[in-house]
Amino acid sequence: MKILLDKLIINYPYFAAVILFLIGAFTVLTRSNLFKKLIGINIMESAIFLMFIAAGNIRGGAVPILRQSNPEALYINPVPSALMLTGIVVSVSVTAFALALIIRLYQSYGTTDARRIAEMKREVT
Amino acid sequence: MTATIISNLPVFVVITPLFVAFILSTFARRIRLVESLVITVLALGVLGAGYLASLVLMRNGIPIIYSMGGWPAPWGIELVAGSLSAFFLLLVAGVSLPVALFTVDNMTHEVGGSVRTTRFYVLYLLLAGTLAGMAVTNDLFNVFVLVEVATLSCCGLVSACKHPRAAEASFNYLILATLGSALILGGIGFLYIITGHLNMGFASMELSRIWQDYPHVVWIAAGFLLVGFGVKSALFPLHVWLPDAHSTAPSPASAILSGLAVKGYMICLIKVLYNLFGSTLIQKFALHRILALLGMVAIIAGSLFALAQDELKRRLAFSTVAQVGYVFLGLGQVNAQGLTGTLFHIASHAVIKSGLFLAAGAIIAATGKTRISEMVGIGRKMPITMAAFTIGSLGMVGIPLFSGFIGKWHLLSGSLTAGSTLAPLVIVIGSVLAAAYLFPIIRTAYFEPAQAIDGQDPGVPQRIALILLAAGVVILGVAPGPFLELAGRAAVELLALK
Repeated sequence: MKILLDKLIINYPYFAAVILFLIGAFTVLTRSNLFKKLIGINIMESAIFLMFIAAGNIRGGAVPILRQSNPEALYINPVPSALMLTGIVVSVSVTAFALALIIRLYQSYGTTDARRIAEMKREVT
Repeated sequence: MTATIISNLPVFVVITPLFVAFILSTFARRIRLVESLVITVLALGVLGAGYLASLVLMRNGIPIIYSMGGWPAPWGIELVAGSLSAFFLLLVAGVSLPVALFTVDNMTHEVGGSVRTTRFYVLYLLLAGTLAGMAVTNDLFNVFVLVEVATLSCCGLVSACKHPRAAEASFNYLILATLGSALILGGIGFLYIITGHLNMGFASMELSRIWQDYPHVVWIAAGFLLVGFGVKSALFPLHVWLPDAHSTAPSPASAILSGLAVKGYMICLIKVLYNLFGSTLIQKFALHRILALLGMVAIIAGSLFALAQDELKRRLAFSTVAQVGYVFLGLGQVNAQGLTGTLFHIASHAVIKSGLFLAAGAIIAATGKTRISEMVGIGRKMPITMAAFTIGSLGMVGIPLFSGFIGKWHLLSGSLTAGSTLAPLVIVIGSVLAAAYLFPIIRTAYFEPAQAIDGQDPGVPQRIALILLAAGVVILGVAPGPFLELAGRAAVELLALK
């Protein structure tokens, strides 16, 4: 039990990531408001970003800029941070596109509720 | 000179469509120019992919490797053009060109205005470029980026029509697909954490050394990747976005989405499973059983759903769900026969389904009828379109001398080699069900007394596109030669990694 607790405390960013991911996935799958779905997606992606960044972090590590004065210093791993920069760009474009779609849906249905839109569609067909 | 061309070919086939996609929008008002640019680029793609495939065949399985920016493998991003890559590149080029030909002179009424049509072409080329990228990439994070770009362009293509239903389908697709890509990124993250590599070759070496220390992490990573790619490639219980998205998109977009886009994610999954985990780990973690089981469920369920649809494009969309099942079923047979069958089935379904969707689009555009029960006697009014549709249907069912047969034959013998009793049965039942949902359309079109129904064959470029794809179905069925050779070699190479 104590070992488990120790592991939990040492690896707390990963557990935070898992909790965030579950919150995000739950929001996406259960809310019918389109904006809330989109927010859920963003929370989920943030959880993954957090996991990557935590994986690259080394406690006590310096910023990964090589200096002549102390080439032996401990640096954090810069690759995950660089990857997540790309990941954030992707996530922003998804958000922008989804918002544009929500605007179009609001213009044609007058609501941002997925359930209402499905009802209206059924009435038409 | 030739050496330079050869060593740079893997990157050129990817960046040329991407580059042209971004300059297209400057010519937005001159739709003729845009169309001819798109056709030229895709024709160049066919040439490049054909040349690459012949090179790969000649080099006897030694892949052409390109290091991005001159950084060698574990640090830089690596593009590898081996048999699998050449096979999929040839397929992407060979299908996207006829589909683009179908759009010539044909898109403005469906999408509206030359600016919107140009946007359609931008997304189309982006999709073609990223699919080519999926074929050659050997880097895990690159896979994620390509998957995301492909997903965004697919969603854009679905919402290309002004119809509100298209926007809704596109939004649902976007949400589920993004959920999938979050899972894929998570899976990649776990693999990166335990292996420390993003290059698939290096990650695989590391993974085979250390997997016993982290069995749970490997499980979770495999699960994340499987569900993520499963959502993207519409594996049965995760297919819910597909019927709406593929049936509301403009017909050429449906053709490319059902034919190629779904296949790109499968190629990524094949690469991750066989190039990274390797066949030994797949069997240790019993992933092949899960894949085969999901595939069988998808074949039966997809076919039954397809039977229940009266709307033509929806029936074709559900048929895609069923055919995706065959691919996963084949992935679960860890032997050369089964994998060859899977790869060949990917190719044959891409050609067949894009042809069927284009034919459906031509019928809907000419008559305005979307339901199968209303398409009485259409075969006499639109002979070329319906002939292409019939050839595609025969191929889908798997009649000998048509392309579907060869893929299914290899799948069948692969599953018999693997010692499965249920899989061969499911493959045969799937074929029967395919006949049950496709042949009534042909009967309605040809043999029921004609009513006063208007309609004629589409214009010349559209006819050429339909004839090309129908010819592809027959050629792949009669003389699969180099294609089968490439698929067979790719299967052997995939299994070579332990």
